[in-house]
Amino acid sequence: MLSGILRRLGLADQSIGRVLIACMVIGFASLVAAGMAAIWSTGRNQLHIQAVNHTYEVELAIARAGLLIEQGETTRRGYIIARQPVYLESYRATAAQIPVALRRIEQLTMDNPREQANLARLRALVADIEQHRDQTNALVTAGKTDAAVRAFVEDTTAQRMGTIRELGQAMDREERALLAIRDAEQQASVRAFYITISIASALLLFVAVASFLTVRRYTRDLAASHDTLRDFADSLEDLVAERTADLTRANEEIQRFAYIVSHDLRAPLVNVMGFTAELDAATVAINELVDRLERTAPEIDTADARVAAREDLPEAIGFIRTSSQKMDRLINAILKLSREGRRVIAPEKIDATALVGSVRDTLQHLIDDRGARLVIEGTLPDIVSDRLALEQIFSNLIENAIKYLQPDRPGLIEVRGARQGARITYEVNDNGRGIAPADHQRVFDLFRRSGNQDQPGEGIGLAHVRALAYRLGGVIDVRSDLGKGASFRLSLPATLTEVQGN
Amino acid sequence: MNDHRSVSIIMIEDDEGHARLIEKNIRRAGILNDIRHFTDGTSALDYLFNHADGPALNGPALVLLDLNLPDMSGTDILARIKGAPALKRTPVVILTTTDDKMEIQRCYDLGCNVYITKPVNYESFAQAIRQLGLFLSVIKVPDIEGEG
Repeated sequence: MLSGILRRLGLADQSIGRVLIACMVIGFASLVAAGMAAIWSTGRNQLHIQAVNHTYEVELAIARAGLLIEQGETTRRGYIIARQPVYLESYRATAAQIPVALRRIEQLTMDNPREQANLARLRALVADIEQHRDQTNALVTAGKTDAAVRAFVEDTTAQRMGTIRELGQAMDREERALLAIRDAEQQASVRAFYITISIASALLLFVAVASFLTVRRYTRDLAASHDTLRDFADSLEDLVAERTADLTRANEEIQRFAYIVSHDLRAPLVNVMGFTAELDAATVAINELVDRLERTAPEIDTADARVAAREDLPEAIGFIRTSSQKMDRLINAILKLSREGRRVIAPEKIDATALVGSVRDTLQHLIDDRGARLVIEGTLPDIVSDRLALEQIFSNLIENAIKYLQPDRPGLIEVRGARQGARITYEVNDNGRGIAPADHQRVFDLFRRSGNQDQPGEGIGLAHVRALAYRLGGVIDVRSDLGKGASFRLSLPATLTEVQGN
Repeated sequence: MNDHRSVSIIMIEDDEGHARLIEKNIRRAGILNDIRHFTDGTSALDYLFNHADGPALNGPALVLLDLNLPDMSGTDILARIKGAPALKRTPVVILTTTDDKMEIQRCYDLGCNVYITKPVNYESFAQAIRQLGLFLSVIKVPDIEGEG
């Protein structure tokens, strides 16, 4: 359940991470594209401005050339009419500038073959018209004014200037056409720029919206997961409480069961014992009868009856009696354990050294009997726990140590204790006959014993100790090898806070 | 002795074996009073309260009561006896396997006169019953109020 939630969260994290990274990449790409479009567009703009300037320069140059040619015409006319050398001077100055103006056009329109062709025609026309002008000027200078006027009129009828003007207009049109093309190109590039910017903006907007939605979904998922986790934690607490209640109920059930069973088992046992005693009493009467028969009527064969009355009956009664006595002891053991389970535990501060000391005093006669020694090492750590339970635990452990000593060496029993954080460990160590590792778990089971069965006991001591240790919130284990002594380690909480029981 | 013989012993005990052993030992103790045996609480209560020969209507009696009965708890019967004006002075001897201290205390609180735990050891059991017989032979069972 938990791992499922975590897995779901993890997957959501990953996919959201991927979406966000993709959004960022698209966003940056859009920005870069927009920037590049701007640079490109600016570059195109620059080129266009240059082209427009160029067009105007060409037009200007054409206009200037046209003006100079017109000025040449005007000054020639002035010279013909006024015949003043100042006009001739002016004409010459103007004529000298015309090639410069034409070269300027040539330079500016190097890349345009059509304009070059036009220019070539213009040059030819200009050369032609200058030749005629020079002729008329020469005629005026020579004083042949009439001839000059005739030549002028002839020029006028030849429409030389008109042709030049038309050519100039054609060149202008050519440049205008070029400018129109460039304007169209400029328009296209501006459109492309706007389209690029629009696409980039749209992408940015999309990325922003996608990021926002993703983050919102992620946040919502996170909140939902958080809620789920909290619900889970809550339900976990409920679950634990439920389990604890179940466990307590089951435990109480077992206690009650043990109590009832042991009681109900007792009732038939009373009968078994009682009627066995009655049988025993009856045997006496039968024995007397058999004896009397033997004496008074030896002719009756009483051998079978005699064996039955004197041997079989007492033997059977003896077995029934010892078995029911043993059964009584076992039932009492169960009863005792179940009572112990029902007892209310009352934690109090206990001087463990004094407690073990009093246990030692109680068992002193037994210790002396076996020639053993019990040593309490240093001071045992104090504990807050149930006094009676602790007393019974130590009493059982020490009594066991005394009972199962190795006969060929003097018994030594050591009790020590140490505190580890919130827990206290007490150890009861002996140098007795030990317990085979295979039996380490078994010795704590009810009615189970280990090794030579040369000591009285029903196998309830350690079962009792373990039940008590559990009730005190502790555990007990044993470390031992056969013939090498045993070490019982009891680990208890330093402070028993929870008052368990019914 | 006449006085004592008129006291009938009412034994409420579901275990036939126990009942037989109790009866045998009572007889061995020399008590010859009439013994009526009931194996369940309902019929015993019916006899105690309603029967013409029962103690509520006719004469003194002594009750031997087992606590573990199939149909009801012996303490319920004890409470009924001690709660009834006609029966509350009737001596009640609890004879049971329970040696739970709380249970014993509860019986005395309810007004039981003697509490005997049935020992598994038969000699002790027989001893206890015979002592009970001795007790019965000296006990003066009170007359019921208003009756002869």
